[in-house]
Amino acid sequence: MVQGSADEAAETLAALKQLRERAHRRAHGGAWLPALGFAVLLLASAALYRHPLAQPTSVDATHPFWAGLPDEQVSPLASYLFWFVGTPLLFAVVALWYAWRARRHGVRVAWPLVAATGLGVLVLLAVLAAVPVGPVPEELVFATGPHWAGLSTPLLPLAAAVIVLGRAEHSRGLLAAGIWIAALTVWLCTSFPLGHLPGWTSVLVGGSGLGGQLSLRPAHYLVLMALPLLVVAAVNLATGRRPR
Amino acid sequence: MTEAGSGAPGAGPSPHPATVLDDVVHQRVRLGILTVLSEATECRFAALRDELGLTDGNLNRHLRILEQAGLLQTTKGYEGRRPVTWLRLTRAGRAALRAEVTALEQLVSRIRTATAADEES
Repeated sequence: MVQGSADEAAETLAALKQLRERAHRRAHGGAWLPALGFAVLLLASAALYRHPLAQPTSVDATHPFWAGLPDEQVSPLASYLFWFVGTPLLFAVVALWYAWRARRHGVRVAWPLVAATGLGVLVLLAVLAAVPVGPVPEELVFATGPHWAGLSTPLLPLAAAVIVLGRAEHSRGLLAAGIWIAALTVWLCTSFPLGHLPGWTSVLVGGSGLGGQLSLRPAHYLVLMALPLLVVAAVNLATGRRPR
Repeated sequence: MTEAGSGAPGAGPSPHPATVLDDVVHQRVRLGILTVLSEATECRFAALRDELGLTDGNLNRHLRILEQAGLLQTTKGYEGRRPVTWLRLTRAGRAALRAEVTALEQLVSRIRTATAADEES
């Protein structure tokens, strides 16, 4: 009798798990498109750098880093326009996507919160860093510690939007991807030149403690940032198409 | 020796998980409704009906009970000229579902532990 109750409760739990998985696929099966959109935007921004892949002998960078990372831009104005037109455009496309999914599948995701976060931080950045471009501040060069002025970069609003998207889509993968982008941005943008390693990192691997610099270029870092988003998009697309 | 799930030493015995089960939530269809709604921000009435394989009248009856208990909210609107009803779990609804699932899991584990102990003795 008692064992029967346990079996019944276990059956209920198993049925609920199945139902939850089905409902999850139905509600969040569209996360691949915004994830892919964010990844494409990141990768496309490689075109904003004068030397996205090649290692130049010298770098003539300006601040704020409107291209995203602290490196030489083709044109600060083009970088500015890329992010301030490209990001709202991406949000508009994703909003259409979610509206279409809501009509087709009858479920809504808290997408407006994602757009509000991304655009809100972007507007805040525009206000805070609206000053014309100039030379890289001295405190950022040969940095002795992180210098937060470098965080005037359009990559942070993107990271914030990905984190909120992760919450809205109940996706740990997106949450991790957003945190990963934010962490890389904080590391790369608070020192100059690009890829500066603080002293303590070389001490960890038995070095002299003077620090160093990774010889990766902006495009390499952008691929690193976009990679988790591409993986999440691929997994979401594959699980969404799995027969029910 | 304390019983499984009885809490900190010195605390009184924890209530049996069966006493924690909420009659409003425990009903199978209503548990299904809460589970589906917990995955989306909002869900359309028709989508929920199709997902659970219910009739309009049956679903409506359960929704009224859950709404009266403050576990879900309904919003009526239009898509073009078609009237649509959107359903959303409240914070209390999410908490009630979590509590119910936890109680069920504890119940299963408690009965199975007791049965295993009986078989051994």
